[in-house]
Amino acid sequence: MDKKNIEEQITEYVLKYKENHYRLAYSYVKNADDALDIVQESVYKAICSKDSIIDPGYLKTWFYRILVNTSIDFIRRNRKTEAMDEEIIINIDSGTADNYENFDLKKALDNLPDNYRTIVVLRYFEDLKFEEIAEILNENLNTVKTRLYKSLKILRIEMEDYEEV
Amino acid sequence: MNNNLEHLKKEYMETPMPEELDFMIRKSLKEGRNTMKKKTRGKNIGVIAASAAAAIVVFTAGINVSPVFASTMSKIPVIGNVVKVLTFKEYVYNDGNHNADIKVPSIEGLENKDLQNSLNEKYLAENKKLYEEFEADMEEMKKNGDGHLGVDSGYEVKTDTDKILSVGRYVVNMVGSSSTTMKYDTIDKENEILITMPSLFKDESYVDVISENIKEQMLQQKKEDENKTYWVEGIENEGITERFEKISAEQNFYITLEGKLVISFDKYEVAPGYMGIVEFEIPTNVISDILVSGEYIK
Repeated sequence: MDKKNIEEQITEYVLKYKENHYRLAYSYVKNADDALDIVQESVYKAICSKDSIIDPGYLKTWFYRILVNTSIDFIRRNRKTEAMDEEIIINIDSGTADNYENFDLKKALDNLPDNYRTIVVLRYFEDLKFEEIAEILNENLNTVKTRLYKSLKILRIEMEDYEEV
Repeated sequence: MNNNLEHLKKEYMETPMPEELDFMIRKSLKEGRNTMKKKTRGKNIGVIAASAAAAIVVFTAGINVSPVFASTMSKIPVIGNVVKVLTFKEYVYNDGNHNADIKVPSIEGLENKDLQNSLNEKYLAENKKLYEEFEADMEEMKKNGDGHLGVDSGYEVKTDTDKILSVGRYVVNMVGSSSTTMKYDTIDKENEILITMPSLFKDESYVDVISENIKEQMLQQKKEDENKTYWVEGIENEGITERFEKISAEQNFYITLEGKLVISFDKYEVAPGYMGIVEFEIPTNVISDILVSGEYIK
């Protein structure tokens, strides 16, 4: 494959979808500095491992995989010293009844194991296909579907598009 | 989609975007490309460095082999602590959003004016380039929505004894988070020569010997502290295909007050960004067999 070409494709891709990538990283670390660090590191890794891409058609899932792994790596290493997040404190402060309910759900989502929560975020927030998620997480399709189903059960969410799961 | 989940999604989509995002990604792209270029270019640099080093190796060999030469050397007056580092020039810029503070070091007091001038010219050129890059980045940033940008550069004296002077020049780039790079020069103050990695060792085997020791230290550190990680064989790191294999022949190093050799790597060079700059002190017994002499490293 033309190396110059793949480098240009990566460049174009990471600039175009930077906000999606940043949001995803932020959903793991909940602060701007670390989220920026993760996106930067993922971009750096992508350029340095560009030779590992065989088919540019997989650029999206390949990059998401780097991003998800970098994020999970990051929180595993930092979890020990995790303090209460500023944002959560703000949320507690401004608790109208409605907000509070949503805060519960948000907390429940945040408390899901990483490999479950990632699926919910990628499927419902980033609108990725099941096949794509399976590829990103290197799991088979059924595992991904089962985990999503379990996650929704934990979150006590009744889905109208339940059939799809 | 379920109403509550829709609510969460909305909140997710409203994650505030830092204004530096675009700029930071462009920076990382550039850093990645530079690393790749360095890797393919490595060989040519090796040749140039080796030939420059050869001259010094001959010189140090001279001290050890010829007693006549050795006594001639000892007659040269020792200038000791007269050799020092000063701030030659400072570039300062600050408009609130963008700031630069660049201190250019200058070595003074060497009799060997060629060495002194070549070092000082190098420092001046490096810092001039840094300032020009800062100006270019600032322009680029303004075009892409603006944000904060900072660069802080200066120097620190790592070791200053009668015999050696190790000076480190740092560059801190601040865009959202910060990254630091370090470069070292170590001067033999008595003999007034620049100490290079190849000049310290008898032959090129030091590259492998030191690299192996560093790899061992990386794995050992990981074993002792789960939070540390390196891009090295034996540690699982998804998404990384470039692992640390060898130090370069001209790897960044300095010599401590106790006479220990310390190898330094910049952020991203051998480990993820959160590890920052990493240093490895090489135990002297590992390299004692291949050292030219015990003069600098003890």
